[in-house]
Amino acid sequence: MDRDLSNTLQADQKRVIKDKLVKYCITSGGALVLVTLLLIFAYLLYVVLPIFAPVSIAAQKEFSYQSNGNVLALGLDEQNDIAYQISDDGKLSFYSLRSKELGNLLLEESMLSEYSAFAKTSATSNAYIFANSQGQALIFKPEFETSYPDDIRLITPEIIYPFGAEKLQIDAQAHKITAVSFEFGEEGAAIAAVTDDKRGIYLALTATEDMMTEELVWQQEVVALPSLPNQIEQMLLSPDLKNLFVRSNNDLLVYDVSDIENIRVKSALAINALDANVTDMQLLTGASSLIVANDNGVISQWFEVLQDNKRTFTFIRDFKASAKVTSITPEYFRKGFLSTDQQGYLSVFHTTGATQLLNEKLSSSENMQVAISPRANALLLADDSRLRLFSIDNEHPEITWSALWQKVWYEGYPEPKYLWQSTSASDDFEAKMSLVPISFGTIKAAFYAMLFAVPIAISAAIYTAYFMSAGIRSYIKPTVEIMEALPTVILGFLAGLWLAPLIENQLPGIILLIISLPLSVLATALAWGALPKQIKESIPEGYHPLILIPILLLVGYASMSFSSTLELWLFNGDTRMYLTNELGINFDQRNSLVVGIAMGFAVIPTIFSIAEDAIFSVPKSLTMGSLALGATPWQTLAKVVILTASPGIFSAVMMGAGRAIGETMIVLMATGNTPIMDWNIFEGMRSLSANIAVEMPESEVGSSHYRVLFLAAFVLFIFTFFFNTVAEFVRQRLREKYSSL
Amino acid sequence: MITLAKSSTEKDLLSHLSAEKTALEIKNLDLYYGDKQALFDVSMKIPKGKVTAFIGPSGCGKSTLLRCINRMNDLVDICRVDGNIALQGTNIYDKSVDVAALRRRVGMVFQRPNPFPKSIYENVVYGLRLQGIKDRRTLDEAAENSLRSAALWNEVKDRLHDNAFGLSGGQQQRLVIARAVAIDPEILLLDEPTSALDPISTLTIEELITELKEKFTVVIVTHNMQQAARVSDQTAFMYMGKLIEYSDTNTLFTTPTQKQTEDYITGRYG
Repeated sequence: MDRDLSNTLQADQKRVIKDKLVKYCITSGGALVLVTLLLIFAYLLYVVLPIFAPVSIAAQKEFSYQSNGNVLALGLDEQNDIAYQISDDGKLSFYSLRSKELGNLLLEESMLSEYSAFAKTSATSNAYIFANSQGQALIFKPEFETSYPDDIRLITPEIIYPFGAEKLQIDAQAHKITAVSFEFGEEGAAIAAVTDDKRGIYLALTATEDMMTEELVWQQEVVALPSLPNQIEQMLLSPDLKNLFVRSNNDLLVYDVSDIENIRVKSALAINALDANVTDMQLLTGASSLIVANDNGVISQWFEVLQDNKRTFTFIRDFKASAKVTSITPEYFRKGFLSTDQQGYLSVFHTTGATQLLNEKLSSSENMQVAISPRANALLLADDSRLRLFSIDNEHPEITWSALWQKVWYEGYPEPKYLWQSTSASDDFEAKMSLVPISFGTIKAAFYAMLFAVPIAISAAIYTAYFMSAGIRSYIKPTVEIMEALPTVILGFLAGLWLAPLIENQLPGIILLIISLPLSVLATALAWGALPKQIKESIPEGYHPLILIPILLLVGYASMSFSSTLELWLFNGDTRMYLTNELGINFDQRNSLVVGIAMGFAVIPTIFSIAEDAIFSVPKSLTMGSLALGATPWQTLAKVVILTASPGIFSAVMMGAGRAIGETMIVLMATGNTPIMDWNIFEGMRSLSANIAVEMPESEVGSSHYRVLFLAAFVLFIFTFFFNTVAEFVRQRLREKYSSL
Repeated sequence: MITLAKSSTEKDLLSHLSAEKTALEIKNLDLYYGDKQALFDVSMKIPKGKVTAFIGPSGCGKSTLLRCINRMNDLVDICRVDGNIALQGTNIYDKSVDVAALRRRVGMVFQRPNPFPKSIYENVVYGLRLQGIKDRRTLDEAAENSLRSAALWNEVKDRLHDNAFGLSGGQQQRLVIARAVAIDPEILLLDEPTSALDPISTLTIEELITELKEKFTVVIVTHNMQQAARVSDQTAFMYMGKLIEYSDTNTLFTTPTQKQTEDYITGRYG
């Protein structure tokens, strides 16, 4: 009333403010949802991307030193503070790499000025052996002592002589030793040597503790190596002291030295690449794999494979360096290695990833020597009286596209496989991180759940929406929807601890149940039709389906109690044994059938609810139109109702599939979490989501494992994203076609 | 008085219709929705090949009566029917009658156009496909004939396989009529077929109804008295579930015998 005509064109201030407030609230709410989604996406990528980052190498420090001969070997301490080199004048020299005193000679000792053979052990043992022409050998170990005077870390180099500073007499006849190999095992050590008169010597050293002095006393046992070739380039002892590899040009002899009483040649094979000669061979950490370098740049990996009940050395895969490979340097704890070639290129490889990670020219010298730091984060390079330290950024060499998504031939396996086994008790274990088996597990679990849920949910939805009387419908629908609120952990718990043993014990009964339930429903319906009218009318209109409840309970009870009889008749009293032995079907207690039922149960309410809404909202005018044209109710259902509701039914199924794929607790608790790839319904699986839940707590932050788990999460995200997008796309298309409103 | 006499002869004519001229005979029909009675003792004969209109105020039972003729009321759980409707001598409420077969002979068109979410062609042949007719030529022929008789052929012949929702409301209603005509029923029930349409579409449909009576007996429910006057040959006026007056359309609108009829047609209620 107080607003006069002149300002009625002005907006009401209060209304404008409310309007704007609502507009901004809703806009910011929507934007926040999108931002959150993007943040999750971005964070996943942020954690995942480093595993695909290329390897980089950067020069850090360099110094020259007094040249006193060629370099035989190089090494670094864990902190990359001290470098040592062994030169061909028999000297071991330690140099400081700390910036303040770069290149200072910290310690130098002459080992054996006159020597005829030199060898080093595997990286983990990190010992060296010199042998001379009197049949003697000296074994030493550069070591680093860490102390904290004034709370500052101080690393001091020292030299350890595990068998004393005195030379060890290997050859009783005191002949010149032409090739030697040494290795520490778990309980002892061993030396293999060849003398100039072509005798092979195998010397086993076993330690016993002196009861009085508590000192180690080494006992020697010498045996001869049989059937040695004439010329020997290289000898390698495996750290488990079971195998001795002897290379004569391009031929490899593998000796079984596990029993010193019975040393024998296990196999002999040519290991060179086609039209090439072998230049070096090294054992990877873990000592299963032999890496063989060739003069044409081909580097090949070999390991023992079980074939026809016999373990034989088999060629596994090739790597390619650019020129004649001069040396192979395995990493300390990973299945990676470095190679140097004639043109001064350094290459970094990893066997699981099966790729060359880096190839860079670092030197112009033909005979450069390299050493990798124990933590694989630094590289020491010696050429032309110069020592150079490089930092290497190579955090996740084992994770490559092929390692994640393709078959990989893992050490010790008879063939390339998709495998997920992220950790094991052993340190030199090759992590198997293929996402294929767990993605497969996700799809398998979802498939069986949908197989169980879709027919039940859709037919229930059709019945409820189309045939059921309004009275019962108003009870049934909310009841089924409440099932959705059931915590999945409870479902998983029931499935794992109650249903799984039940299915295991009563398998014939369960199968009988699956067959007899639908049949008894049909039979009841037929019987109902044949009943006299009086009985039919005694039940209120629309309540007759309730008769099914006692009948289904009875049939269920009957099938279960018939189970053991059936088992006796058909399966000789033990279905599990019968399945495994007669049909060759493996049976796990927690299997896909259990997951299918439990997860199907969790998915049914989702599918039911959406599909029921869709069917119920089909306009009555269409139903009437169809009926008025002389269609039976079933014809109307099939040709009009379902067709019109199809977008809704389709999205119900897709929503159910999305839920089944993302579901965690049920698959976690009701499957054995075995990452196997088999469609067998009686075997378990491991899904992406369960895998993340199981392994995330035990993975080290920032490790490859941790990042791969995030990648699994990302894959899961993509899965659901893909499913929802397809669902939405198809739904839109269907809606365009069948919309009637 | 002369008019009265004439009207009584007309009325006699309707009540003494010979069997071969009768399409449908309703006898003492009562209908209950639960406890509530919706139709009271309705008896009438609907002549063959004519347009019969049911008029009356909202809720008078004219649509209910129409739905009794093809038993659409069966779909209402609480609905119960007493009495007799004879289609060529057979009571359609007899146990032996198959509802689907009855509805094939008594087609129906509803207030709002309700084409199925299918193509125009598929809409028209829907009823034929239900009967298991698969022969392409039969279907094509039937589709063309029905669309022609629904006066829609020229408008849609180039887009038979487009979605029916692309048609206008009036075209959709004619499509629905074509769909009903395609199964060649004896009687065509039209339940306020133009109430959702614009005046021009209404006119087209009305012209169509006049053409349709050449082939079919048409029963139309309308709340538009002018429409009843324009298209129908005889008109039944219903009020509160009772058939008040049923006679020749001209007679009913010019010289109604009942006071209630006169009140209604002169616009005193309704």
